[in-house]
Amino acid sequence: MKPDLSVSFARLHFRTPLIAASGTFGYGTEYLDVSDYEAIGGIAVKGLYLEPREGCPPPRIWETPSGMLNAIGLQEVGIRRFIDEKMPRLRELGPTVLVNICGSTVEEYQELAHILDSVEGVHAIELNISCPNVEEGGILFGCDPRMAAKVTEAVRAQTKLPIIPKLSPNVTDITVVARSVEAAGADAISLINTMPAMAIDVESRRPRLANIVGGLSGPAIRPIAVRMVYQTAKAVNIPVIGIGGITSHEDALEFILAGASAVQIGTMSFVDPSVWRRTLDGLEAYCERHDVEAISALTGGVLS
Amino acid sequence: MRRDVRAKLLERRSLSPDASLLEFESDFLANELRPGQFTMLRLPGDEGLLLRRPYSFCDTDVAASRFSLLVKEVGRGTRALARLVPGDEVDCLGPLGSTFTMPPEGKRPVVVAGGVGIAPFVGFCRALSSASKVAVVLLGGRTSYDLYLREVFEALGMDVRCTTEDGSVGTRGRVTALLDDALDAETQLYSCGPTPMLLKVAELAKAKGIPHEVSLERRMGCGMGCCLGCVVYTSEYVRSCTEGPVFDASVIAWDRDPHPL
Repeated sequence: MKPDLSVSFARLHFRTPLIAASGTFGYGTEYLDVSDYEAIGGIAVKGLYLEPREGCPPPRIWETPSGMLNAIGLQEVGIRRFIDEKMPRLRELGPTVLVNICGSTVEEYQELAHILDSVEGVHAIELNISCPNVEEGGILFGCDPRMAAKVTEAVRAQTKLPIIPKLSPNVTDITVVARSVEAAGADAISLINTMPAMAIDVESRRPRLANIVGGLSGPAIRPIAVRMVYQTAKAVNIPVIGIGGITSHEDALEFILAGASAVQIGTMSFVDPSVWRRTLDGLEAYCERHDVEAISALTGGVLS
Repeated sequence: MRRDVRAKLLERRSLSPDASLLEFESDFLANELRPGQFTMLRLPGDEGLLLRRPYSFCDTDVAASRFSLLVKEVGRGTRALARLVPGDEVDCLGPLGSTFTMPPEGKRPVVVAGGVGIAPFVGFCRALSSASKVAVVLLGGRTSYDLYLREVFEALGMDVRCTTEDGSVGTRGRVTALLDDALDAETQLYSCGPTPMLLKVAELAKAKGIPHEVSLERRMGCGMGCCLGCVVYTSEYVRSCTEGPVFDASVIAWDRDPHPL
């Protein structure tokens, strides 16, 4: 019998445990001709505000050892255009739809959640309280456990949809923020967002990014992310979605064994659009080899 | 339809101390690439590099299932590529991006290229040649070494005019010095190269009301329109991988372009 690679948690069903990370998969349709969508369990769309945003000036990206530094600054189309222009195709694709939202104030998050609550095809809200590249909101909410809880609670009051706060690694103790959003009504938690970071061109003596600092993603941050998922999963009773430099089924399994119920893939999807099929096939082979009937049975299975 | 294909390096030809022409085998890309388009290239097994790198293709040979890239060594990615030997394989995602448009009937094409900026024009001039059109091709470089492939343009029947900053070949100076003579009301301009050159060409074209297409090279993360890393400013930030790399130069807000390369 084939192992069951689907996962269900937080009132959500994912046909595979692999979710496209917000900000790396556009509004869902960009990779239709080159990626195997059957292998994708969910899509977290590019972070949305109430209004369209211009984003940061370029240069916006720079490659560092095993990593990608970015300061995009949440260039996006605004919630209305998303619903009118992007949602009709997105809801037909198959993967579970997570809409990532961001605001400069608690009220903006609330209004976004209120709007999304009645939109057909939206399965969950991922709360972006961890973007390092915007001046207001974003990471400021995610680094303060009280603010993180306040945003979560405010959004909770506006929607029945599952709420998944996405946490920043830029905190002293990730479990404090995790417990705080759990108590405020979060249905699950996703982590980690990018790590605030910087690179300098020594010849010109200028920062590599116009925004000076950016967020680091890719394999460079993976061990940090695995550690934080491990700590968070032990500290809360809600499911955890692991994110951070996943390139293969081994990487995904690290997160799952550390306590993740599903994982997100971001930077590697830029590098290899076949990462979805390759990783899923690898997970299946692993389960067969280890006599595991369902991938969900591996969550938190690290031995100590 | 885009695909990620594995392409074998068939031949590498050194063009200068730091530039080579790489010929790859791919039936798909040889057939599908259109002048101006690019591929995102990845070296399999190279752990040192994470992201793919964008390369405008130089030329295609459909009958031989070949396409070529012009590579000048400037950083880690280009150095790794320059180390490849025939038989090595790379992953190429493409075809990506916008294309040059053929000049309308009655318009005279003028191509302005600096350094490796000539790359996308080989295929373009081949298409012009097939349509029995002759472009004035203005090539500029610092020295004769930088005037890559000018014999190819000549073989295609193009009207090639060169400048070098050291005067070793052609007119001494910058390629933009040749522009005035080459432009008239019936010209359609095409350019690719260093930003100061493109800016000068764009200013001249604008002043004379000449249509001008420009290929912009920007650092890219994905090439697929998702990372939003490669933007240029028009009236908003647009993606050079998706809306570009070939743009109508008049829409670019050059004063907001920090030419990040």
